[in-house]
Amino acid sequence: MGIFDNIEKYSWMGPLIKNADRDVRRRLLKNLRKKKDRFYPEGEYKADIKNLINCMLCPNMCRFDCGTLQASDKETIGPAYKARIGYYLSVGKIDPNDPENKEFVDLIYKCSNEETCKIWCPFEFSVVSLLETVRDDLNDQGLMPEYCKKQIEKLNQTSTIEDHNIFKTYEDKGIENIETKGDDEVFYYVGCEMMKFPEVVKANIEILKKAGVKFSTNLDQKVCCGAPALNIRDFETVNQLANKNKELIEKTGAKLVVSDCPGCVNSLTNKYQKAGIDISIDVIHIVEYFEKLFEEGKIKIQNNIPGEYKTLTIHDPCLLARNLGNTTTIRNILGKIPGLEIRDPIYNKEYTHCCGWSGTVHWADTEISVKEAQNRIEELKETGAKNIVTACPTCELGLSYGIAEEEKDNVKIIDLSILISKAI
Amino acid sequence: MNLKDLKLIYQENRKEIKNRDEIVKELRDILGEKCVSTNNIDILAYTRDSSLISLNWTIEGKIAGLPEIITWPKDEEAIIKVLEIANREKIPIVPFAEGSGVVGGAIPIQGGIILDLKNLDEIIEINEKNLTVTTQTGVNGMNLERYLNAKGYTCGHIPQSLYTSSVGGWIAHKAAGQFSTKYGKIEDIVLGMRIILPEGDKITFEPIARAATGPQLDKYFIGGEGTLGIVTKATLKIWPYPEKRNLISYAFPTMKDSLEAVRETLRENVYPAVVRIYDADETARHFEHVEKAKDKVMTVFVCEGNQKLVDLEDEITRKMCLKNSGIDCGEDPVEHWFETRFKVTETSMFPPYRIVADTIEVSVMWDNAVDLYHNVVETVKQVKGNLLITAHVSHFYPNGVGFYFTFGGVPGKGMTEFDFYKSCWNATIKAVIHSGGSIAHHHGIGINRSHFMEEEWNKGYDVMKKFKNVLDPNNILNPGKIYEKTWKNQGGNE
Repeated sequence: MGIFDNIEKYSWMGPLIKNADRDVRRRLLKNLRKKKDRFYPEGEYKADIKNLINCMLCPNMCRFDCGTLQASDKETIGPAYKARIGYYLSVGKIDPNDPENKEFVDLIYKCSNEETCKIWCPFEFSVVSLLETVRDDLNDQGLMPEYCKKQIEKLNQTSTIEDHNIFKTYEDKGIENIETKGDDEVFYYVGCEMMKFPEVVKANIEILKKAGVKFSTNLDQKVCCGAPALNIRDFETVNQLANKNKELIEKTGAKLVVSDCPGCVNSLTNKYQKAGIDISIDVIHIVEYFEKLFEEGKIKIQNNIPGEYKTLTIHDPCLLARNLGNTTTIRNILGKIPGLEIRDPIYNKEYTHCCGWSGTVHWADTEISVKEAQNRIEELKETGAKNIVTACPTCELGLSYGIAEEEKDNVKIIDLSILISKAI
Repeated sequence: MNLKDLKLIYQENRKEIKNRDEIVKELRDILGEKCVSTNNIDILAYTRDSSLISLNWTIEGKIAGLPEIITWPKDEEAIIKVLEIANREKIPIVPFAEGSGVVGGAIPIQGGIILDLKNLDEIIEINEKNLTVTTQTGVNGMNLERYLNAKGYTCGHIPQSLYTSSVGGWIAHKAAGQFSTKYGKIEDIVLGMRIILPEGDKITFEPIARAATGPQLDKYFIGGEGTLGIVTKATLKIWPYPEKRNLISYAFPTMKDSLEAVRETLRENVYPAVVRIYDADETARHFEHVEKAKDKVMTVFVCEGNQKLVDLEDEITRKMCLKNSGIDCGEDPVEHWFETRFKVTETSMFPPYRIVADTIEVSVMWDNAVDLYHNVVETVKQVKGNLLITAHVSHFYPNGVGFYFTFGGVPGKGMTEFDFYKSCWNATIKAVIHSGGSIAHHHGIGINRSHFMEEEWNKGYDVMKKFKNVLDPNNILNPGKIYEKTWKNQGGNE
């Protein structure tokens, strides 16, 4: 009875149990006592068993908004089923050490971390938060999948997510590197993925310069924020990168870190904090900083946007809209630019859908990621706009995989910074 | 992992496919490599539906059914070809979309091939003049509703399973939504369908306003539960999204008082979209915070639509509530219902304590409604191990109502969880028949009620079986459901 007494929602069970037939009451109380013996693993484990059970026995209330399920159209990719497999792996009903069960281990990584599930979850958790605890146990047993090990190797060898140090390519890409002298106002934290979009980095540098901001980029010393390792749950690599980032950021003397990647912002703030790593300096998305610069009059709209960009739709990055809780900045900035027609897709703001390229699914099952990107592109195209504005390099990369070859000339993905740089 | 090591509940019903490898090869040639699977991870995903007892099995590592091949056809032609093979080889086919059914309808108790219809999820067209939406049936209900809402419409079909069910599932199991008192059940909402019959013939019922073209054949397929054909496309009624919503709640001294208030409201031709009567136990469970409703029967109403009409409905509803000793509890209980109606946590909370619970929905004409309620409650209380039996009434018609009973308990000595589950089900349905009710309102027959079909339909059941035999002579489509007394014939042993 005591267990239900502790849960306000189930207080109505108290009188039922009290008034039940003696035999029923005896059996029930025995079941209450035996729950952990019967359904929890023995020994040490990190898996969140309580919530894996809650999730696997749920009617799958988030299934309609799970990007990977909607992309695969297979029951196998359903959120509650992922939790069920996570539970079975944790309690040994499925042996994760048996190579024949690799497909079950792989399922634990087939999540794009978009966390739409959290919006609808009756228990208010995200499925990825559960899967991560299963990954912790798999890592402890030396069962990290090869595609994850490959990412960790790259992070350790190049300090970036590429097989070469992508930050060192700045010269080839015509990006100016600004080294710190230790007295910066702002540190512009360039994301690994954004190095694939040099025009955006250049636009950001141009905007910061126009606003008269004293900043640095330190691309010669720059390393990844560790987001891939955080997803894979390799905390040795996370800590190594986090310490380098902390040192680099503190060396700049900046009062504020601005990043062009919401994934980096999320890592440096929320995820580092959960991992016990404290970056004491505020970290925000660069478009949030630009919004402030507009408000302070440090940058001003001066030019008309070319006609080809007049009709736009917005792809809210999951990480910005849901994890960082900002659904207004992109719209506020676009609202300052005269003559634009903004058409929101059906799934927008905190209800945005994933580009397919977040989390671990794009390593575990690229086909699902591409389909998720295609689904999102279809939703964005349904607005009738051919220009997709966003503010995340991962989304820009992911969405590009969703555009059919024959449409590449018609459908354009534009980083908000490019538009700002054209307008100021 | 060998799935055959897992305890299979419907072991006795299972038939193995003799030449499985050849069938798989043939299916792959037709559907494509990636649209056919025999992988354990895929097979395990289709071993149950959403029956609450299957959750007790899931935590124990047991499975309800064990299919041999999973297929994901991308179009109607692929479905037809799978059916051709199944007919030739006499292989059971179980249509599956979201798996939200709760009476065993999608459990592959004879094994065979799963036909997952999720790929058929295109929303084809909204016709604003006719007020219809045409869609493929694999589309998820919430995704259809969200699409309609974005365009300024609603389907008005909002079951608690909205997030987890498909249009095809609604049609297969004759579903009803929480707003059914105004918008109707799915059979009132479906205006047209395309169906692939068991032997592969395709028939289309074009949307019609009304007709006098002989017996209404299309309606016969609604509630077919995947036994008579596969519905691939449907045209549904839609409505402009309501401009106004009034929230009303009253607490009544008894179930009888509350039922009278609603009956008298409907007699005035007033149909609130939502009407829900909670018996005293459910009122204590869901509205504990409403002081005025203590030990009473909470009743919530939502009137929606045209502003002037809503105000009028509001006035008449309140008048009938007051006339029948209702106490006005304000908007708060209705807001609470809106906030919590999809917060389903109980399904997860009970199985770890080996509590077996389920819900059973039935219908009855007004004159037997009160008696049916009391009969079911008193009968189920007698089942050994019973802990609770409560009810709410959530679907109303000018001539009768739909009751929704919830039972729970722990198996008595010598009983398995499944024994207890079946005992509660059987006790409920027997009491319903005894009280002049109908055995299912909106979840369908599946496995759980098929052994009562004869009592429900009398000679009509023979006609139904003949009709099934004409359409599906090889009995390939979803066998073991509706026409076979699976439980009575000792099917399903835990």
